[in-house]
Amino acid sequence: MNEITPGFPAVAAASAPRSAARVGVGGPVGSGKTALLEQLIPRFTARGTNLAVITNDIATKEDAERVRRTSLLAPERVLAVETGACPHSAIREDPTLNMQSADELDRTFPGLELILIESGGDNLASSFSLDLVDFWMFVIDVAGGDDIPRKRGLGVLSCDLLVINKTDLAPYVRSDLDRMLREANEVRGGRPVLTTNCHTGEGVDAVMEHIAREVLFDR
Amino acid sequence: MSDLSGAMALLQLGDSFFPSGAASFSWGLETLRAEGHLARAGDVEAFLAGQIRLRWATFDRPVVLASHRAHGDLEVVAAVDREADAATLAREAREGGRRIGAALLRVHAGLGTPGAASYRDRVASGHAPGQLAAVQGLAGFGCGLSESATCALSAYGVGVAIVSAALRVGLLGHLDGQRILSRCRPLAVEVAAGPPAGIESLHAYTPMAEIAMMRHEVGTGRLFAN
Ligand SMILES: Nc1nc2c(ncn2[C@@H]2O[C@H](COP(=O)(O)OP(=O)(O)OP(=O)(O)O)[C@@H](O)[C@H]2O)c(=O)[nH]1
Ligand SMILES: [Mg+2]
Repeated sequence: MNEITPGFPAVAAASAPRSAARVGVGGPVGSGKTALLEQLIPRFTARGTNLAVITNDIATKEDAERVRRTSLLAPERVLAVETGACPHSAIREDPTLNMQSADELDRTFPGLELILIESGGDNLASSFSLDLVDFWMFVIDVAGGDDIPRKRGLGVLSCDLLVINKTDLAPYVRSDLDRMLREANEVRGGRPVLTTNCHTGEGVDAVMEHIAREVLFDR
Repeated sequence: MSDLSGAMALLQLGDSFFPSGAASFSWGLETLRAEGHLARAGDVEAFLAGQIRLRWATFDRPVVLASHRAHGDLEVVAAVDREADAATLAREAREGGRRIGAALLRVHAGLGTPGAASYRDRVASGHAPGQLAAVQGLAGFGCGLSESATCALSAYGVGVAIVSAALRVGLLGHLDGQRILSRCRPLAVEVAAGPPAGIESLHAYTPMAEIAMMRHEVGTGRLFAN
């Protein structure tokens, strides 16, 4: 907390110098957003990136607790923001509380370089406000159906990086991964698409490197 | 401001599309619903009436007015703000007021509302808590709204917070919600007649909501921040 604070320390009121890059992680319920965070955190830590996480759980602090438990991040580096059953609004129309939490992290951890913000599981039309994030990923998975990319959801189309997760499950749910990738590339006009298996960590290095290149620059 | 411009300003600031983080707060309703104290639309209406009569009228309204009447003097706003903060017992109510107040200040500062950026800096440096009602008065004055328009904004905000939270937890439908908001209007007018209480005698009597917010701190249901 702020040492010059005489009496009212609780809320970061937004004049903090903005230092850490803010990266959104959105996507439908259960696509593997938290699993991807769990895979990314140790990779960024190993790379020496100073990072923190914000979760937007729907009705609990489940994801925040899970990230605190499974990652080596100090618990104070993981904040949970409640969204009043409006996860889409909290990352787009009214991102103020997420911005407030990110400011609080910037203020509390000088030198912070990266804040990963997981949206509450939502639908294919969700997207992040560019006032909130510098870059955002949308995570879908093969088990949601291989027709997801061609349904042209706003999230699939407009994210900076599309991640297709659970590649291991494709044969079991009769999803054609190659076709999914092809159609994803088509609807996105060639903008980046990566595939991952967040149980084994396959493909996650590429996601980490992509973020490091696009967002952290030389940091 | 012309009538049309003033009306449009009021609509813009009172719209739930205006960002302030307010949708994340239920002010005890989530817990009261979960524990069976609120079960139908009529219960929500009674709850809201209690909030208007026993809290907004005697607590929020005087704070909003005193802050508006500071005419942009930030020392005066901060004094009112500190009283409001000190007199809010339940932690989640106090923190909720600060968080929405800070969010609203950030937005107004971004929009260039007079006084907002300087007051935001005071809050950031810990010299004022930034409670919602105090910020509403400051921002209302800064946007050129009248005292009564600023009070309307504040009362309407209480109504929308409760009714929209109730709708989201399944206590009522969209029409019931609007009926309750309509009926809340004459009530606000009635309780707003007469001079507001002085800042030294701010008071509220909404124990059910306050206890619910205290219980919410450790509750498992957390769609909302309070
Ligand atoms: N087979 C397989 N399962 C995965 C993979 N990634 C995640 N899962 C599983 O999918 C389920 C949901 O994963 P989460 O990480 O909780 O998904 P989420 O997107 O964070 O979910 P919400 O936050 O609730 O929207 C869990 O049971 C994970 O173990 C993967 O690559 N392969
Ligand atoms: Mg999750």
